[in-house]
Amino acid sequence: MAQNEVWTDTGIAELILLLREEPATGMESIVCLEMATACTAAVGSTFADPADTATHHTDSGLLIAAIDTVAGDTTNTAGDTILFDHVFTASATKNVAGIHVCNNDDDVTFIECCFNAVLAMENTDTLTIDGSSTIDQA
Amino acid sequence: MSMESILTKGLMTVKLTGELRTGFCTECGTQTAKEYYMDGERRRVRMTCPKCGGMGRLIVKTYSVQAPEPPKCFKAKCLWKFFFRVLYTTWLANYHTERVKYAQKNRGKNMPSKYRTGEDSPQTTWGCMKAVAKLKHL
Repeated sequence: MAQNEVWTDTGIAELILLLREEPATGMESIVCLEMATACTAAVGSTFADPADTATHHTDSGLLIAAIDTVAGDTTNTAGDTILFDHVFTASATKNVAGIHVCNNDDDVTFIECCFNAVLAMENTDTLTIDGSSTIDQA
Repeated sequence: MSMESILTKGLMTVKLTGELRTGFCTECGTQTAKEYYMDGERRRVRMTCPKCGGMGRLIVKTYSVQAPEPPKCFKAKCLWKFFFRVLYTTWLANYHTERVKYAQKNRGKNMPSKYRTGEDSPQTTWGCMKAVAKLKHL
């Protein structure tokens, strides 16, 4: 299964709420997805219902947390890209199939990513996420 | 599918890597800790050794393989070119999946660094096919 990542429908809806100055929050949290086999990212995934049978990790250092760094950048036109970095440190042996990038309220998933294959993390292993998303005029 | 929906496909793109490392410095064996640093004007995060600045041993790095751009004309040459790009992308994604599985299965063993870093990946469809077959029989 190829690594794949998508902006979810609920993530786009949250973005539109922000543009309309309706109650909504920006990109602020990240959480690892738990599943024994590789998942496939889907636009229809939601915070409560990730891709396939994946669930959010709730412990062992892989649970939802504030993203370490979020910054703006330029890919094609000024300020068209958002960059984010985060490090997870596992405190037990766990499978990580992917990640969710979520809003500040921890109720909307903006981006869902399913890795090339399930990552088998052992106690003290670290997983550094380096992501970017561009809204392209092309 | 309407022309509008075709033109807006892929408007929001996401690229992401996940770097899995052991939590202990390869140089002195000390447990690594989260370090914020400046990359130009951007504040970033990584796991480094608080004593010597080293890092944990790389187990594997995941990559997203971006879908090829759609053809810009309907000439046979353009369509063939697109077809071969799709074929290459599919096999490249397959290669990275097998590479990630192999690197994790042999996390403590020596192997060519290309399997852990994902760099120097095959540049042709045939090269990807050969590499996938090799990884499956290693």
